[in-house]
Amino acid sequence: MDFNLPGENDPRRVEIRRWFEENPSPTYKQIADRGLAAANWPAPWGLGADPELQYIIEEEFVRAGIPTPHSINAIAVNQCGQSLLAYGTEAQRERFLPPALACDEIWCMLFSEPSGGSDVAAVRTTARREGDHYIINGQKIWNSAADYASVGVVVARTDPSVPKHKGLSQFLIDMKSPGITVNPIHDMTGEKPEYNEVFLDNVKVPADRLLGREGQGWQITVEQLQTERAGMTKPGAVWGFGPTARELVHGLIETGKIKDPQFRDEAARLYIEGELLRLLVYRGMSNRINGTPAGIEGNVGKMVASPHGQQISDLAKRTQGMAGLVRNPDVLPLPDKSYGLFSNWDYSFWFGPAATLGVGTQEILKNTVAEQVLGLPREVDSTALIAFADANKPNIQAAA
Amino acid sequence: MNFALSEDHVALRDSAASFLDKEVDLSPLLKHGATVADAGYDRMWGKIVDLGWPAMTIQEAYGGLGMDCTDLIMIVGEMGRTLAPSPLFGTLAGSWAIEAAGSEEQKERLLGAVAGGELKLALAVASPAGDLSDPGAGVNSKRADGGYVLNGCKGFVVDAASADTIVVGAESDQGNRFYLVDANAPGVSIEVLDWRDITRQVCSVSFNGAAATLLEGSTEGAWEWVRDRLYLVLAAESSAGIGVVLADAVDYAKQRTAFGKPIGAFQAIKHQLAEIVGQRELANAAVQYAAWAISSNAPDASKAVAMAQSYASDAYKAATYRNIQVFGAIGFTWEMKNHLYYKRARANSELLGSARDQREQVVRMLEREAA
Repeated sequence: MDFNLPGENDPRRVEIRRWFEENPSPTYKQIADRGLAAANWPAPWGLGADPELQYIIEEEFVRAGIPTPHSINAIAVNQCGQSLLAYGTEAQRERFLPPALACDEIWCMLFSEPSGGSDVAAVRTTARREGDHYIINGQKIWNSAADYASVGVVVARTDPSVPKHKGLSQFLIDMKSPGITVNPIHDMTGEKPEYNEVFLDNVKVPADRLLGREGQGWQITVEQLQTERAGMTKPGAVWGFGPTARELVHGLIETGKIKDPQFRDEAARLYIEGELLRLLVYRGMSNRINGTPAGIEGNVGKMVASPHGQQISDLAKRTQGMAGLVRNPDVLPLPDKSYGLFSNWDYSFWFGPAATLGVGTQEILKNTVAEQVLGLPREVDSTALIAFADANKPNIQAAA
Repeated sequence: MNFALSEDHVALRDSAASFLDKEVDLSPLLKHGATVADAGYDRMWGKIVDLGWPAMTIQEAYGGLGMDCTDLIMIVGEMGRTLAPSPLFGTLAGSWAIEAAGSEEQKERLLGAVAGGELKLALAVASPAGDLSDPGAGVNSKRADGGYVLNGCKGFVVDAASADTIVVGAESDQGNRFYLVDANAPGVSIEVLDWRDITRQVCSVSFNGAAATLLEGSTEGAWEWVRDRLYLVLAAESSAGIGVVLADAVDYAKQRTAFGKPIGAFQAIKHQLAEIVGQRELANAAVQYAAWAISSNAPDASKAVAMAQSYASDAYKAATYRNIQVFGAIGFTWEMKNHLYYKRARANSELLGSARDQREQVVRMLEREAA
């Protein structure tokens, strides 16, 4: 057992750092060509990096002051791009991956729908084959980056005559296609909208944009959501990102607010939980290096990390009392570090309720952990075994 | 970086598990009115000595096995998982106190005797009221006849009645020092407390002119050094305890039916048990990291053990509470073992100070780092 993280003189680190020194302001194309955009992917896309090397690369991006490609093009680099390696055609990889990794084409995910959040498989958007095209119709919601993305990864129903999990397919669509309307959603933060709703009205998609086979959509979607959850287990304020309890404690020490006995104990409790979440992240890395199957850690980690993040933003807010109710991005001093969206406590706090909603509500996650980790009985879904077309007829649902 | 246990660690844990599964019998404790006197507290000790457990962390130079704290928690975790009634805690505590405060000659002689299974120890630090902030509180030492005599009282001494020798923190004109006292010497009286956790022997000890020997290397920081290791021991017990009470609750929730289905099918049950999974994983990571930090003298070792102890003791309490709730009223009866875990969890969260005390220690370390 060895808990030492890769050190300053680690030869892998030295090599990466030298590249950043020789290329102080690289383009994202250069970064991608060097294999650093998705280092964990196999060549020629990445370096086939193990999690330790990934950790080093991440740190060197921070040191160089360059936002990582996965923070700019998260859906392509983190969640969905890898599906092309497993399920895509050679032509799809050549067409989509180079511009995605170079951050020239931003991707968005078009999964959730107004009629079903937690019940992801109950997708109503349809894709109908017509000659060498599919025609897609439906409405999607909670889509980050849809307002500026070039590529949309859409889950649609290609076969309503089979049960809901079996009739889904995934497509890579051109977001500039006729028939796509994107509207921003003004969320409760009142800040620049993060999410959009997307209407798909007879959108014509070439048949070669189908990812994998018809009916494989659910399998691909589940893998992508697992990947997304695993990324959300860090100790930051919102979905693992943003300021952590470490920074909260530093801010409280700097302002003297740590002297308040109640804040003090709560801050310590959160600090400890945050450090332990960090250990879980490292343990996950270590498991992957050792080839131990990942499986549960994403779900368990997110289940702990989401309320943890809400609690640290809440404490940061409460230490400000009434003053914390005034819109103000500088509630407590934070280190001069960019966290993108979540660079201040104020936004982290008001965005907080989303943390236990997005990418699976807390309740769905707990079901998943109870069923998959503890082997407790699965929730009965009366619509899972009947044709999707029949699932919304009340009499059939009652009988099932 | 490698967070996985080595094959040696796993083998050590598995052999401890199979030994304890065979040897530990809690059934005498599940009869109404049972006390620690029914636990067979010293019954396994000979076999534990044969397995070398008291010798594990004693240096080879003193006749021990020279293993580290990560090795040790493989054993201690299994002791916690099975609630094994046995005076290992006291002997570990006393051995560490001798390592921290003894002279070379004392370490060689006493630790050699512990490693050889000839000496059982206990460590008396708490004041009669249970205050641990001053390890000398409650007892004072005076020079007499070329040695020392102790007067006063110590509270909450684990394994004192089983011990041959008690290591006692006492006030002297030199400040706090550690002394050795023969548990059977005149002037020493040991009372086994009616401690709620009947799987552990906890005593109060009074000294009335008892002859004592100074641990000659005693320094002011010795207690903190020992306490850090004891935090790790309790945290390892608690972490393993969370695992077993969760597993028991899950098994029960799968078997017990109500309203036509296993109660584990209800989200009210599932969600609560899922919460415990998260706490089990964090406690486990905390303990393994803390053991590694202590073993490798990492600069944050003190912080790591305080974090592990505070987190694991809180989580253990939550898990044992949930365990009884899932079992329902049967889990509240004396004949079930659920209460033994509930009581161990409660005791582990007080025996070395509260979780809040350890959090205070963590904050102070953070304040010092920031200064």
